[in-house]
Amino acid sequence: MDLAKYAALFVAESRAHLRSCNQLLIAWEQAPAAAEPVGGLFRAVHSIKGMAATMGYVQVSDVAHHAESLLDAIRGGRVTVRPEHLDLLFRAVDALEDGVEAAATGKAVTDAGSGALVRALEVAASGITAKSAPAPVAPAEPVAGALLDVAVVVRPGTPLRGARASLALRRVDALGTVSRVTPATPEFERDGFDGRFAFRLRTGAAPREVDAAVRAAGDIATVAIDIASEQPSLETAAFRQVRVDVERLDAMTKLAGELVVSRNRLLDVLAAQPDGELRRTVETLGRQVGEMQAEVLAARMTPVSELFDRFPRVVRDLARDLGKRVRLETEDGNIEVDRAVLEELGDPLVHLVRNAIDHGIEPAAAREAAGKPAEGRLRLLAAREKNSVVIQVLDDGRGIDRARVLRQARAAGVVDESLETLGDDQLLKVLSRSGFSTATAVSGVSGRGVGVDVVVTRLRALGGSVELSSRPGEGTTFALRVPLTLAIVSALLVRVGDERYAVPLAYVAEVVDYEGGARTGLGTAEVLLVRGARVPTLHLARLFAVPEARAHRRPAVVLQVGERRAAVVVDALEGQQDIVVEPFVAPVGTPPWFGGATILADGQPALILDAAALA
Amino acid sequence: MGHTVLVCDDAIFMRTMITDILNQAGYDIVGEAESGTQAVQRYRDLKPDLVTMDIVMPDMGGIEAVREIVKHDPDAKILMCSAMGQQALVVEAIQAGAKDFVVKPFQPSRVLEAVQRVLG
Repeated sequence: MDLAKYAALFVAESRAHLRSCNQLLIAWEQAPAAAEPVGGLFRAVHSIKGMAATMGYVQVSDVAHHAESLLDAIRGGRVTVRPEHLDLLFRAVDALEDGVEAAATGKAVTDAGSGALVRALEVAASGITAKSAPAPVAPAEPVAGALLDVAVVVRPGTPLRGARASLALRRVDALGTVSRVTPATPEFERDGFDGRFAFRLRTGAAPREVDAAVRAAGDIATVAIDIASEQPSLETAAFRQVRVDVERLDAMTKLAGELVVSRNRLLDVLAAQPDGELRRTVETLGRQVGEMQAEVLAARMTPVSELFDRFPRVVRDLARDLGKRVRLETEDGNIEVDRAVLEELGDPLVHLVRNAIDHGIEPAAAREAAGKPAEGRLRLLAAREKNSVVIQVLDDGRGIDRARVLRQARAAGVVDESLETLGDDQLLKVLSRSGFSTATAVSGVSGRGVGVDVVVTRLRALGGSVELSSRPGEGTTFALRVPLTLAIVSALLVRVGDERYAVPLAYVAEVVDYEGGARTGLGTAEVLLVRGARVPTLHLARLFAVPEARAHRRPAVVLQVGERRAAVVVDALEGQQDIVVEPFVAPVGTPPWFGGATILADGQPALILDAAALA
Repeated sequence: MGHTVLVCDDAIFMRTMITDILNQAGYDIVGEAESGTQAVQRYRDLKPDLVTMDIVMPDMGGIEAVREIVKHDPDAKILMCSAMGQQALVVEAIQAGAKDFVVKPFQPSRVLEAVQRVLG
């Protein structure tokens, strides 16, 4: 058997198991008496062991085997769980992670370093008796009966199809073990349930007996039964899903994006043509291209929970290293974002979480002295806002010491000497200057500099933005705003001089008439009155040093980034377009207000304005 | 002799209708109940082959009654009588041990089909 084709599956599934291992270990650590985490851990480690043994990753399966022995001993009451056991298991999970990642990169999996861990696990598991350890690595234990994939359709038009489906499941349940019910059973209780469902059945009964049992529930239109593959890799893959390499998905996204651009161009060319067969066909084609692109993008959407799931472990380890007590709460709001966005958010979030634990949250004694709970609270929240996602990192620590930041900023000549206080925006600007640090001791955790510069740079490269608010003694909040997807952006095209620029619509609050509007102040202090609010005003022509247009009715685009607003005066509006954001490596000396580049529908290139830099 | 049936519904109208449908098909209605508590009591006394159970009844609801009856007799054959829009309740009743259900307004043929499935 050619194992190479299973390698990717091994890595993907092992990662998922390891994620749940980390969560379960943390849950267990918090409630050492709980039984569920042990069972879950045992199953996850057991799955990894079986897969690794099949793949020939001896080191991984060996560590998994010994971790499993310890878990089994604890589960069976032969060993009483102690904190050092948990540490050992955390280390084992780390070692498994290393092994899996090594497999992912195709490197040879060496056994360097795992010897000591294996021995420690052995000693721990032998706590009372050594002979109770489970048998050495064996292929998955033989199972009784066949594995059947069953798809059922309840007769259309029958009332309460969900209840009918539940009946069928109950009847089948008597024949064996039902798993992977699709859709999940709560769906059956919904009125919209269409009567189609599927499940997997491990049974000694013949397919025709299964068929009869399902039909005995009444009002069943069709029953389709397939013998399911016994491949362990398929065991955990959700029914009706296939795994697709992310690179392939990326290639499809890029192609779909280019198709959209070509479509826009075609529609542009045809706009001048009279109505006819050709134009109607192209319009239909255009719609289909749009739908296809939406489907491709939907396939890339990944739950934010996947990102948040790694933080319980990060927070636990950090808090331990720093001798602090921190409780992490996450709320992902069931939000999904483009996988590429999610990947880019990982590092910035780790930076901010580290900062919060290292610099924000005080040691327990200091917290109690300040009348706060000894345990610090760190929250990660995700929320939708229009076409973007806002991810907040909130801590209830001491807040940022503005006076000290200001002193240092003055000393470094970063701010005006006369500045007496720093607002939240100014604070962020100072902190995000490369290498700026107020950390009294450079700790191994946050390293040199607080890394806010890294966060801001990364977010801007994503077309996103960062906001900061901090209150002394109460805590600090960072809000990261990113587009839901990187692949395609709706943009407003504006003209300045001879050039056109794209402004992401997500940041456009409104467009107002500049010439006819009420204005006060001049030059850099110019303010436009927009619905009674004073909005700082910028002239792009002046910013870009091109001659200003003499048009009489120049519009101003009001940008909104979080709480900040700016009215940007342009020569003219050129309509709206979906653009594909091209990776943008800005040459040295590029002004900060460009966030990317794109090819417009007519084939001409244009720069994308960075709203966060202008507002 | 036909199978024995206990009919549980708080509305006389529904009880009468079910009784008529089942009588005509040769079933033997041995008792009626107008609340969940009564249904549990009568089930123990009468040991019928089949129970038709309304979901919403005063005192003790149909689902609770199913649980009580199944607790005493895991083989009890209970047919739920539900209205449209009670999907979640029916699913709950099935999980509690009910064997089938019919949806109001009743069509005699569908009631008899369900009864046969349950007794089958």
